[in-house]
Amino acid sequence: MTRYLLKRLFWMVPLLVGISLISFLIMHLAPGDITSTEASFNPKASEESRQKLRQIYHLDEPLIVQYGLWLKRMATLDFGTSFASHQRPVLLEHKDDKGEVHKGMIQEALPITLLINLLSLSLIIVVALPLGVISALNQNKPPDRAITVFVFIGFAMPGFWLALLLMYWLGVAHNWLPISGLHSLGYEKASLQVAIHVPLWANFYLYLSLPVQLWDLAKHLAIPVFISALGGLAGISLFVRNGMLDVLHQDYITTARAKGLPENTVVYRHALRNALLPLITILGLSIPGLIGGSVIAESLFAIPGMGKLFYDAVLMRDFPVIMGILTIGAALTLIGNLLADVAYAWADPRVRRGVGG
Amino acid sequence: MKALSNPLARWGFAIIAAVLLLALLAPLIAPYDPDAINVRAILLPPSSSHWMGTDGLGRDVFSRMLFGARISLLVGFVAVGIATAIGVVLGALAGFYRGWVDTVIMRLVDVMLSIPTFFLILAVIAFLTPSIWNIMIVIGLTSWMGVTRLVRAEFLSLREREFVLSAQTLGAKNGRLIFRHLLPNSLTPVIVSTVLGVASAVLVESGLSFLGLGVQPPDASWGNILTDGKEYIEFAWWLSLFPGMAILLTVLGYNLLGEGLRDALDPRSNK
Repeated sequence: MTRYLLKRLFWMVPLLVGISLISFLIMHLAPGDITSTEASFNPKASEESRQKLRQIYHLDEPLIVQYGLWLKRMATLDFGTSFASHQRPVLLEHKDDKGEVHKGMIQEALPITLLINLLSLSLIIVVALPLGVISALNQNKPPDRAITVFVFIGFAMPGFWLALLLMYWLGVAHNWLPISGLHSLGYEKASLQVAIHVPLWANFYLYLSLPVQLWDLAKHLAIPVFISALGGLAGISLFVRNGMLDVLHQDYITTARAKGLPENTVVYRHALRNALLPLITILGLSIPGLIGGSVIAESLFAIPGMGKLFYDAVLMRDFPVIMGILTIGAALTLIGNLLADVAYAWADPRVRRGVGG
Repeated sequence: MKALSNPLARWGFAIIAAVLLLALLAPLIAPYDPDAINVRAILLPPSSSHWMGTDGLGRDVFSRMLFGARISLLVGFVAVGIATAIGVVLGALAGFYRGWVDTVIMRLVDVMLSIPTFFLILAVIAFLTPSIWNIMIVIGLTSWMGVTRLVRAEFLSLREREFVLSAQTLGAKNGRLIFRHLLPNSLTPVIVSTVLGVASAVLVESGLSFLGLGVQPPDASWGNILTDGKEYIEFAWWLSLFPGMAILLTVLGYNLLGEGLRDALDPRSNK
């Protein structure tokens, strides 16, 4: 198991280098260099500040040297400071000369997106698993047909459209759910008085009783979580259905039935557990989709997560933030895939023994 | 035409054919100029003179929907064409030459797959001017990985088959092996993934246009009509309903067609 892990970790190195190379090359797609693009968005940018930018990013060096220097800074988790947002650091907080602490942008946004993604993954598992099993056990009967229709509509549904409709119907027309941000307005005022050292999203918890805080957060997250889970709900239901159908036709299921085991035991102990194995990999592979999908839900609902941060950065051509999020997003995906593989090895003794020797 | 014996594929085909027809005939069917602003007809609900109402500038939504269908289809086809071309070439190279060629190409696939696609697309667009052509290219350049894997897998298994080995023994050159024997036999799964790929390209384009980073006004796209719909959602439901339904139906059509083709072309699924 340890050897397997080490091997997997080792494989991540060339991938990370490749990812950084692609993020870096994208930055150089822009016609001219970043100082001219930045300047065009900021007419007041002086020749002096342009020179400073050129210096920071070593734009006068050959491309390969620039890449090397960027890689070096990245290796120490230094992703630079934002062009647009009062020069805040991109990744981690840092203290300036006056001893003021500047919060890292990704550091603040990431927990929010992770929370939303974890909630949608849980929603996907809780809803899609039973749907898939019901579908498979009733193959080609009405329940299966109904679920299949749901699956196809779920696949084809433009998430932003459904979000818009829900926003209008639940938020504006009936006023049941809030339609923007993470917390209700009153709480944010309270949060301003709290010491800076608490992460922004945690500030208001200090002022409210826990159940009220959680209920407020849940109401704000309900639609966004549902929207980001939608595609996965459809995909995983279909996946579980097909997996179950495959397994149910295997010889060992016939054997289990032949020796007189109760149907429930056959379905849930023999079939389902085997049908679920590939699900681990699929969930791991769905992570980049979930992270990328956060752009639409978060910018529509004004949730200050990675997706919104990225969208804003794109609009302002905030290069350090764009490159930082690309790299961090990809690294997260790699970590997700690694976790999925480890979980797979843990769940499947064949893999575990095969690689552990 | 065996593929259309499948009811799913038939429905999908019917939807796509209808959308194609409407898109092709858009200039003939459209009752108004899609870009014509009419300040005396702002935000009119659907009626006999404006079937889908008018938008915030008094433009006829039905006409804009028809021209939006052209954009949607164009982006879908061209983007997927680019992705399929790249995917087939790289997959064929990897599967045929194996060794270091295979390693390099597959690592590139891994790298591309680990960067969240929508982030990648947005990042590239941030540095280019958003235009229809740039969007098609960017979607194409970020969605070839699936095809590459498919073609590579087909090549790897076909390469060991007797008909290929015997052609090789008879002295067939690499080019002939690839183009006469391997490629034609590995295209079936590619067709299915192409159809499904158009579906996701349509979704991505409409999402980008909705965010204001895709097709730019005054050009009509279903996504940017929806952007207006968001603006006026409290007074003008028709601006949100019709483009959303159009995207949903079109994507559904491609998905049904793709799944139907998969069932029809895959001999194993005739259980």
